[in-house]
This record gives sequence, structure tokens and C-alpha cells, in this order.
Amino acid sequence: MEQPVRVAIIEDHPVVTEGVASWIRSDPGQRVRLVHTARDLAGLRNVPPPSVDVVILDLELSGELVTTQISRLVTAGYRVVAFSGHSDPVIVMETLDNGAHAYVSKEEGRDHLVEAVLAAAADRPYVTRSQARAMLADQGPARPALSEQERQALLLWFQGMSKASVGRRMSITENTVRQYISRARAKYAATGRTAPSKDALLARAIEDGVIRPGEIVPYQSFAHADRLSADRLSEDAPGR
Amino acid sequence: MTTMQPKALMSDRYQRAFTIAVIVLVAGWHVAGAGGQLLHNRPDYSSFAFQCAMWLIMALAITAGSVLVLRGAPAWCPAWTVAVIALAASTAAAVASPASQMLAVNWSWGTAGWTGVLVLLRRRFAELAAFLTAEALAVLSVQVQDGLNRTDLAGFLAVLAWSTGGQLAVVAGVRALDTAAGRAAAAARSEHAARERAATAEIIQAARQARWLALQESVVPLVAELASGTADPGDAQVRIRCATQAARLRRLLAEGDDVTEALVHELHASADVAERRGIAVEIETAGPLPQVPEPARRVITDAAIAILTAARSQARITLAAIPAVTAGIAAGIAVSFVADTGAVIGLSAARGEVIIEQQQDGVMLWAEARWNSR
Repeated sequence: MEQPVRVAIIEDHPVVTEGVASWIRSDPGQRVRLVHTARDLAGLRNVPPPSVDVVILDLELSGELVTTQISRLVTAGYRVVAFSGHSDPVIVMETLDNGAHAYVSKEEGRDHLVEAVLAAAADRPYVTRSQARAMLADQGPARPALSEQERQALLLWFQGMSKASVGRRMSITENTVRQYISRARAKYAATGRTAPSKDALLARAIEDGVIRPGEIVPYQSFAHADRLSADRLSEDAPGR
Repeated sequence: MTTMQPKALMSDRYQRAFTIAVIVLVAGWHVAGAGGQLLHNRPDYSSFAFQCAMWLIMALAITAGSVLVLRGAPAWCPAWTVAVIALAASTAAAVASPASQMLAVNWSWGTAGWTGVLVLLRRRFAELAAFLTAEALAVLSVQVQDGLNRTDLAGFLAVLAWSTGGQLAVVAGVRALDTAAGRAAAAARSEHAARERAATAEIIQAARQARWLALQESVVPLVAELASGTADPGDAQVRIRCATQAARLRRLLAEGDDVTEALVHELHASADVAERRGIAVEIETAGPLPQVPEPARRVITDAAIAILTAARSQARITLAAIPAVTAGIAAGIAVSFVADTGAVIGLSAARGEVIIEQQQDGVMLWAEARWNSR
């Protein structure tokens, strides 16, 4: 049996910390172990990166959004799973761009938080419905080009179908659905701001065969289609 | 009359007609009046060829001026260029006329004034006054040069009075007609606006009537059955009918609201009754959405009401734009419903521009309504 994943919770409301702790305790496989809780980011000083695998971070601490602090945490070597009451796609996108492994809204917590922590510990993508929503809504100029299948899988997942239902709907296996969604997430890890956590996600995705280096192409506006060379961009991407 | 344009153009059309009348007057004067005088006094000029050249220059100035005014009110520079050329040619012709017979044989004076009237007609009155004054001074100075006697001066004043008087009368007349045409157009416009308002009120009235009729067909019989006791509130089917009609009434109220995302607003209204029944309804949108026309919105909210009425405890409604194939503009919308209805709902697959698909997985129903802009 593998060692349980060690997590720290940064959350200013003790009742939420207590709730998260109870989800962790009720995991049948006991795959996650809570090693530290703190009410602010300063509380992380006692647990430097090697002693904690994943930080569950509330995005709003004492009334302040800490999305911009995430890049500092991931540079220090933490893996961050954001857990927030905010589900605004812009905040979700900023959180991911700053290097968080995953985003779990408070409504999604019970079903997804433990799984998201486990995926983050292995540097594997985990896409919640609120993340899918933010990716579908993204109009940013640096957004990656998603294939029609990836977009459709993300859309059906966002709509609320189970992955098995998405598979039936698209006439593909549930595993292929996961592949499409993970690939879309990996493409996002390859764009925007650089962060060690994003590099780790991408490297793992390539290693797992989720994505090939040549598939990472940024979104091309039709206005610029002739100016961008897909070959040149795919050469750049893996070296980031 | 269906559009605003013809009425708005009315005063323009009148103004154009007045402009053409002035052109005919000026050109007629130059050809018949000045031209006739020029030919009649042919033997008196020291150089008939020079007089003819001046006449031609002025004819060209009138032509250029006509083109200018037919294109709309001319700007300061082209208007004055034409006027000054006419004045210069007229003065040159006057200088070359025999001194003693200036008033008798000079054909050019009147034409220069009329050319000024033509191009300065709709500019500030002060400009025309300045031009006519300059012209009178030019003629007077030519006469002073030639040696002015009392008879000449009297003749000059008489000609000045009737020619300038005629020119000013034409200008005043055209301006009065312009004003009248503008007023008539404004009156027509306000009448048109009043008619538009009346038509809008009729459309609103018709829409209200249609809604009222819709209620007569659905809600009224149900209420009558409940009142008479033929419908039993304890019956599950009756309760479903009540929930559906209540949601439709709620939506009917929401349809009149002026909101930016009408579909989302109406879906919230449609969900209101289900939420009161204790169904947890989530409504989420992904990104900016296109405007959906009312008939399509109605098909989509009808599907929402049917699904939410059948939902047992939870429902999720999502809205996402369908990207266009060729450009970044949203080309349509996908509205999906995931609810624990336990069974597929009787929804028609396609109504109008909306296509509805369903899939059942255990107790969970997934349905998606897609609308595409054409």
C-alpha cells in the first residue's frame, strides 16, 4: 500500500476546515492524511514543501483574495488545490494560470476535493465542472486551441453528465472522455505564465501519453492564422 | 408609410426644387437677358470678342456654381471662388465697355449679382450682402473712372435698386420657402412618430391579448376544474399540471422584463416554482451568450418547465455559447438540463429553430436544447 498523501489546509473558517477534515477521514481508502491546518499563508512556514504533498487553499483569507500568492507557493515547491466559494470563471482561470493544480468550488467539495488532491499529488490533471466552465468561457488571447472532441467532452462534463454518460453520448469509452478532458487541461498548463507546477503537470501528461508535444498549439485567431506557424510553436512548447 | 426616410427627406426635396428654380432663373438671365443685350449692342463694343470671352467665363462660373449647389450647400471656399470669378469677369467686361454708354450697353452687371445669389443663397446673409455691395462698388468705381455725371449716377442708382431688389427678393423668398418646408417636414416627422407609437402600442396590446388567450387555454380550465372539484389536488397528475401552469405564469411575467440576458432571466423565473417545491436548481452559464429571439426562448423555457416539473430533487441548467465555425462570434447556444426525473420527458425533438436531444442514464435525464442563429 502506498503512503497516504499529506495535505495542509489553509482556511480561515474553522468550520470549513473541520468539514474538509471529515471528507478526508471518510475516504474509504484513507488515501489522504491531514498533517497541518492554518488560518493564513504564514502558517505554512512550519511545513516546508517536502513535508507536505498538497496544500488545500481557500482563495479568500480574511476577506482578501490570494490568487496572486499562488505563484509564490508553487515556486516554493508546494502543489496547490484551490478550494473556494468563488466560481467566477475569471478567478478560476487566474488561479490555474498562477499554477494551482486544480480548482474545486465549495459546492463540488464533497465529490471532488479528495480526488483532486490525489491527482495533484501525482501531478495529474483533475478538471472539476467549475474548471470546465472556466475553460469553455475563456476568451483570453493566450488560450490554447482545443479540438472539437475536447471541447465537446468539456461541455458535456460542465453540463453535469457523469463521465460514463459523456462517453455514451459521444460514442467513446469513459477512459477516452478522461483523456480528452485531461488533454484540454494539459494544453492550459502549457500556456500563459510559467510555473514549476504547470511544467510538472505537462511533463506528467506527456509521460502518461495524454498529450504529445506536437499537440500543444495556442489558440489561433483567424486573423492571424497565416502568421503563426504550428511547427515553430510546437518546438517551443516542450522546452518551456 | 413604413419607414422614417421619405418624410425626413421631404424638406430636402423641396430645397432642391427651390435651388433648381434659382439655377433656371440665373441661367435664363445670363442667356436671354445678358446674352441678348450683348448681341444687340454688338457694334458698340471696342472688342466684341473680349465681351464674348467674358460672357463665356461667366457662363462657366454659373455652370460650376450650379453643380456646387446641386451637391448640397457649398463650402465657403468654392462658393466664393465662383462668385469672385463672376465678379472679376463682369468688372473686366464693364471696364472694356464704351465709357459714355456704360449703363446702356453693359450686359454683365446683373449676371454677376445673380451668380452671387446662386452660390451664396444658403450661406450667411451677410456674405451675400457683402458680395452685392462689392459688386455695386466695382460698377460705381468703373463709372467714376469713366467720368461720372449726374445722369449716370441716377441711372446707376435706378439699375442698382431694381437689380439688387430683385435679387434680394428671390433670396428672401427661397429662405421663407426653406423654412416652410422644414416646418412641414418636422410636422410630418412628429405625425410619423405618433403613428409609430400607436403601432407599437398595438403590438404590445396584441402580445398581451395572445398571452391572455394562452392562459384561457391552459390555466383557466385548470382553475375551473379545481374550483368545481372535478380535479383532485391530491392527484399527482393534477399537481404536475398545477406546477407547470404556475411556472408558465411566472415565466409570462418574466418575459415582459427588459433585461440583458433574457433567456437566463426567464429560466430563473421558470425554476422559481420548482425551487419552492424543494428542488435544488443550479443555473450556470459559461462565457458570453448570444441574444436568443423570443420564440426560441419560449421553446427552451417550455422544455425547462417540463423537466423541472418532473425533477424529484435536483436539476442543473447550463448555458454555453456554440462557437461559430468561421469567426469568434457566438453562433448559437446550447442549454442543457440534467435532472433526476427518472424517465425521459415528452419533448418534441425540434420546434422552430430549436433542436432538443435527450439521454437517460438511470434516474438522471440529460437534455440539451440547441438554438443556432441563421
